[in-house]
Amino acid sequence: MFFLITILAGFMLAIQFNTTHQENNLADDTSDLWELRQQYLSEKELETYFHQQIRQSEDKIAQYETERHNRNGQVLQDTLNELKKEAGLKEISGPGIILSITPAYEYITPGQSKVYISPDVLRKLINELNMYGAKAISIADQRIISTTTIRNIQGETKVDGYPLRKFPLEIKIIANDHETVKKLYNQMQISTVPDDFFIDNLKVSISEPQEEIIIPAYSSSVSVNHMQTVKEERK
Amino acid sequence: MWLPVLGLVIGITLGLLTDMSVPHEYQNYLSIAVLAALDTLIGGIRAQLQNLFNEKIFVSGFFFNIILAASLAFLGVHLGVDLYLAAVFAFGVRLFQNIAVIRRILLTKWDQKRKNEKES
Repeated sequence: MFFLITILAGFMLAIQFNTTHQENNLADDTSDLWELRQQYLSEKELETYFHQQIRQSEDKIAQYETERHNRNGQVLQDTLNELKKEAGLKEISGPGIILSITPAYEYITPGQSKVYISPDVLRKLINELNMYGAKAISIADQRIISTTTIRNIQGETKVDGYPLRKFPLEIKIIANDHETVKKLYNQMQISTVPDDFFIDNLKVSISEPQEEIIIPAYSSSVSVNHMQTVKEERK
Repeated sequence: MWLPVLGLVIGITLGLLTDMSVPHEYQNYLSIAVLAALDTLIGGIRAQLQNLFNEKIFVSGFFFNIILAASLAFLGVHLGVDLYLAAVFAFGVRLFQNIAVIRRILLTKWDQKRKNEKES
């Protein structure tokens, strides 16, 4: 033990000696004025070189910048794409949940032919989903956009004219991030909408939050009937 | 008796061979630690000569003194007071005292030896 400690002490001594010795070396730098001048000059040259490089790079950046400004078309295209995405005219994917609606066969009396999905309940569901942060919704792969109609036509519930006949009926919901998805999922767990469906003998099962769900684009074209472009105000 | 000296020599060679150095801002700490180590070593030698040596006390004193000195220096740096001077002072005084005690012990031993030789 004593031996080890003496080794340690010696080691420390030596390191201390090394450290002070190196500093002395630095202080003992006795290069004369002309050598220093020479050194200074070469460093100065290096500095000039670097300045040149920086200026070149900055010129390049400015060039790119002007080019980007001149190509307004690209920017417009980008904006258009963004708007299309927002309006639902583009396929979208992201984290979300899937609700599947199946008829509760044990409650359907024999002879009762059709399963009826109430458009009111569907609308309520969509309202609720939007309230809790849904970014995109599709019912039976029909994208729901702001002008989507859900109506009962001739005894059949239709989404934008597409009849909901096939079961299980899948409702896909995408949200911006995992947190919102989780919130949505929790809200759906306590929502009264499944009970409303149950009155119509329909069961709703809610999938666990999923990493990647794809919601298709709105298939038909959007008809805008009651909108007009705003005339630019004169300043 | 030769084992500690051998250890010291090995430690110094190792340190010189590795060519390690400590950044300038930590140099204070190292110098204080070296001083504490030296103090403990000399104290150990004195205790050995007085037949009071206890390995536990020695080892714990070695590390404890080093840590205490370094933390004192650290505190000093942060308070803006050169507290490491306190450690330098304490260790310096003790070093001198211990070396004086060692010298006296060695002298008395030497005297006794000479007396014994004369008598015999």
